[in-house]
Amino acid sequence: MITVTNFSKQYKGFTAVKNLSFSIEPGQILGLVGPNGAGKTTTLRALCGIIPPTSGQLLIAGHDIVQEPIAAKREIGYIPDDPRLFDTMTVWEHLAFTAAAHKLADFESDAEALLASFELTHKRDTLVHNLSRGMRQKVAIACAFLHDPKAILFDEPLTGLDPQGIRGIQQAIRERAQAGAAIIISSHLLSLFENLCTHIMVLNLGECRRFGTMSEVLSEVGQTDSSSALEEAYFAITQHKETGEV
Amino acid sequence: MDRALFHLLMMRLRGGIRLRLVQLQSVRGLLFTLAFGGIIWLLVAANSSSPDVGVLTDATLDRRALSTQISTFMPLGMLAMSLLTVALATGPTFHFSPTEINFLFTGPFRRRDLIIYKFSAYVAGVALSSALITPFAQAQTGSALSAFVASLLTLIFVQLNSAVIGMAGQALEGSRLARLRYPLLALLLLAAVATVLYAWAEPDLSIFDLLSEFRHSWIGIIILFPYIVFAELFVAPSLFPNLAVWASIAILINIALLAAVIALDARTTDRALSENARRSNRWERIKQGGSVWASERTEVPSIRRSPILGGLGPIALRQATSAARNSIKIIVVFAGLAACVGPLGVALGVSVTDARAFLAMYIFFGFILPRTLVCDFRGDLSRMEIYKTLPIAPWRICAGQLVVQVLLTYVIALTLIVSIFAFEDGVDTSVALVFAAFALPLTVLVYAIENTIHLLFPTKLVPMGRADFEFLGRSLVEFIAKTIIVLAAAAASAAVGFVTFTTIRTSLVLSGLASWTTLTLIGLLTLVVMQYAFRRFAVAETVD
Repeated sequence: MITVTNFSKQYKGFTAVKNLSFSIEPGQILGLVGPNGAGKTTTLRALCGIIPPTSGQLLIAGHDIVQEPIAAKREIGYIPDDPRLFDTMTVWEHLAFTAAAHKLADFESDAEALLASFELTHKRDTLVHNLSRGMRQKVAIACAFLHDPKAILFDEPLTGLDPQGIRGIQQAIRERAQAGAAIIISSHLLSLFENLCTHIMVLNLGECRRFGTMSEVLSEVGQTDSSSALEEAYFAITQHKETGEV
Repeated sequence: MDRALFHLLMMRLRGGIRLRLVQLQSVRGLLFTLAFGGIIWLLVAANSSSPDVGVLTDATLDRRALSTQISTFMPLGMLAMSLLTVALATGPTFHFSPTEINFLFTGPFRRRDLIIYKFSAYVAGVALSSALITPFAQAQTGSALSAFVASLLTLIFVQLNSAVIGMAGQALEGSRLARLRYPLLALLLLAAVATVLYAWAEPDLSIFDLLSEFRHSWIGIIILFPYIVFAELFVAPSLFPNLAVWASIAILINIALLAAVIALDARTTDRALSENARRSNRWERIKQGGSVWASERTEVPSIRRSPILGGLGPIALRQATSAARNSIKIIVVFAGLAACVGPLGVALGVSVTDARAFLAMYIFFGFILPRTLVCDFRGDLSRMEIYKTLPIAPWRICAGQLVVQVLLTYVIALTLIVSIFAFEDGVDTSVALVFAAFALPLTVLVYAIENTIHLLFPTKLVPMGRADFEFLGRSLVEFIAKTIIVLAAAAASAAVGFVTFTTIRTSLVLSGLASWTTLTLIGLLTLVVMQYAFRRFAVAETVD
């Protein structure tokens, strides 16, 4: 569903991502993890067509994001870390906007269901600049889900959410994966990955350090006293490289 | 002032200077600053070299005549501003940012100290504004010092005066006196309308004659006294004793107003806090391209469905809601101003064919309107991620962005044309129709250029303080670049029309049609360039 081959991105001589290759199938959830500046957001932004890759190929549902951007974008749902909504539009109008952009004729029932699932029904006519950050995040997610995308990209999806919101989003991500969507989540919250992800990719300084299923990555660390095995694995992978041990 | 606040003021001043120096270190910042300085120098040089050729002067007005006009009309203008403040002001007049509220309001400072701190910061900014005004006012006042002093004291007065009016209004809120505000304003408006009608009915008397009579009457002198002081600063014939005397009175007035502000502040603290929060939100919105007069409602009836129109629909809907909820007041004001152009031109005896009138209209449509009414990409530069991820062809997104902005501007242009057509004798139906026909492609061209520039060289829509010379320089350079392209397009369009006419020699309609088609094609070509600019627009390149 999502295939990345030899993807590199350079900004004015600085390499943000170098020769990244991976593939995600329907139903799989990939967790992108890495320190600040690792290249996570750059990868997500390139996948959804916001920034062009310097080299490499990025396929969404068989469509190259550079060669066939419109077809590829029809299959993508992207939730940025800081959702910038249109402050003069209401919650419902954001859904109507998304529906029209994706040329959805009958979207009302799906939109109502999404509003209900994110507990936004009573905020339907609220101008979004009056919403809290968590609520704006929910609106962005509802818009991203509306056209039933085959590939969903989350950049720090839980920022600003309350405990109910976190549980609701995690449940929604699982449901989307079960329905056949390929999902990539970028986050610094390792506990989120342990709860949700089927696969893990550790990025550091723009390069892939580890990519595999959750059990594969965890098995490399072995049994630890730590409450979070993924945390141990993460530090083992990222710090070894920084100290030159790998 | 408290020492800590004084230190803060100094550090902020140093930070401001450092920021400007950082701007100068980039090639773009340096070029725009130099451009701004160069253009200002040219204007000053043109203004002071010869009264006959100066851009900002009029040959018929010598210094003495101008002094008379300043002495007569400046107090009236300042009174009108005060009345406008009464009608529109909601406070606070001393705005504290959220950071200042968090740090200073919780600190060991008295309100009085905070007000003086804020006032000092304002004076520092005003001193810079006055320095910029000085070269232009110098020709009138006679010396740079007198121009600077007059500008500085007047700008401080304007701020303090509106502060006192606004705070007095807030302090009186809920009382019986406050209820008299709107009836009194209505009465004044009625008097103004009656004056205009009287002037209309009396061909020998203009509005200016009536205003002048009022200004020099004993009741006018009493009402306008505080304002007369500041007008006299600009017309004082000598530094000593004239300017010194008037400046002393002006300083006393400003001190009295500052004392009034401090006294009134104690009675309006709660209101000031809520207004501060409101203004901060508004400022954030403006920085992102929103309007000053945005809707402050929380809920509005949602539009149930968006038109699709091949992808143009949702983009146009976004901008239409922005215009309807953020800019409706400004649209009404601009349409009202446009409607007044015809009668005003007749009242002032200025024809639309007059070069000055033409220049004023171009500056209005080419600079003021695009800067004030923003319903296109320029207001959405912080939301480009959304547009970039939409499954809509770039040219459709660009066209959708322009639709609302162009239509609104066109409506204002049509209002202007109708107003001129209705009131000016020399304009017949065919001329009005030609103007109306050409206004549309011209508007498309203006906004396509405006958006292309902003997509190629994205920047903030508001200056970062008074001394943002990069912003000011950029605005001037943009305006000049836009003017050159518009003039080139108009020349090409006129040339095609002329060639058509000399070739066919049958009727003006065909050559007019050829001209119009050329202008439209140039507008569409600019849209293609705008689409290219959108495609290459780099959303903030986070490297996380």
